[in-house]
Amino acid sequence: MTGLSQTRPSLALWRRLRAPIAAVLLALGLAGPALAQDGARVRITGEIADSWCTVSGLMFAKGSAHHQCAVWCALGGIPVAIRDADGALYLILRIGDDSDSAANPRIARLMAHEVTVDGELLERDGVKYLLVDQIADDKGVINLTHDEHGIQPFGN
Amino acid sequence: MGTFSALILRSAAGLGVAALAALAPAVAQAAEPWGIPHEKPVVLKGRVVEALCHLKGVCAPDCGAGKRQLGILEADGRFRLVGKGQVDFAGAAPDLAGFCGREVEADGLLIENPAITLFFAQGVREAGSTAPFTPTERFKTQWEARNGAAPEWWRADPESNAIIAETGPLGIKGLVPKPKP
Repeated sequence: MTGLSQTRPSLALWRRLRAPIAAVLLALGLAGPALAQDGARVRITGEIADSWCTVSGLMFAKGSAHHQCAVWCALGGIPVAIRDADGALYLILRIGDDSDSAANPRIARLMAHEVTVDGELLERDGVKYLLVDQIADDKGVINLTHDEHGIQPFGN
Repeated sequence: MGTFSALILRSAAGLGVAALAALAPAVAQAAEPWGIPHEKPVVLKGRVVEALCHLKGVCAPDCGAGKRQLGILEADGRFRLVGKGQVDFAGAAPDLAGFCGREVEADGLLIENPAITLFFAQGVREAGSTAPFTPTERFKTQWEARNGAAPEWWRADPESNAIIAETGPLGIKGLVPKPKP
């Protein structure tokens, strides 16, 4: 992952004040889009994976072995993320003009693909949210894990 | 219970977990341990909001009606993305969308993985209600209304089958798994 510049003083200040501001807004009934923020411009490279299988640890959730399972999860509405080489997860909320982030067949067709995307990164309460502006590169499924791990999780 | 649920429970139901559960005092929440690293049973209280709307102000009617990721905005301003419900391979957006903009209580597991923090909702109810939590199974109800009953929705799903027919189960057209020995 490259191109992050998130240590600006204004961002640090925002992070420090976010919780008390939110508490006041909530008390006033003004929560929701009032907290909208601008994120960092980023380029992310990694494998598109569903968050459930990735964090549950119940199966091998990488590459060709996991493609079918990842399609099921994406169409079931499990949040989809890009996992970079360091294991960081970037949860996709939008691709281009398409803001359907749950059970979107377009996203399901990208599962287990190795992609490079450009977009906006927003970090909030332990989640890196990614708004993809464009898919700069899509290599398809290149992580061939099925010989060792079969087809996850059931073997067929 | 689905095959995948059985897989989860086999992983989760170690003797230690079972013993701890048996000794635990009766409390209002009763989230079932799923054996997931970093899981913590909690009842989240807050407002159902749509993630993209909350973060960027790009909002859809009815919180996207199940087509956008949703979360729970707690009173202290923390936003917890809800990543899964009770149905195998399925999220909880259909369960939460009906509560769009309203205060709820959600029983489930907070997963504070270093890579991502997610909430897996097992049940939800209107805030202040004393009714039992409604299991987060609405995905299955909606899927069956569209497609009819099936023992495993994921293997019967037309959209899944169309993709897998096109790419193969490994995601690479023409590549087939080796026969089992």
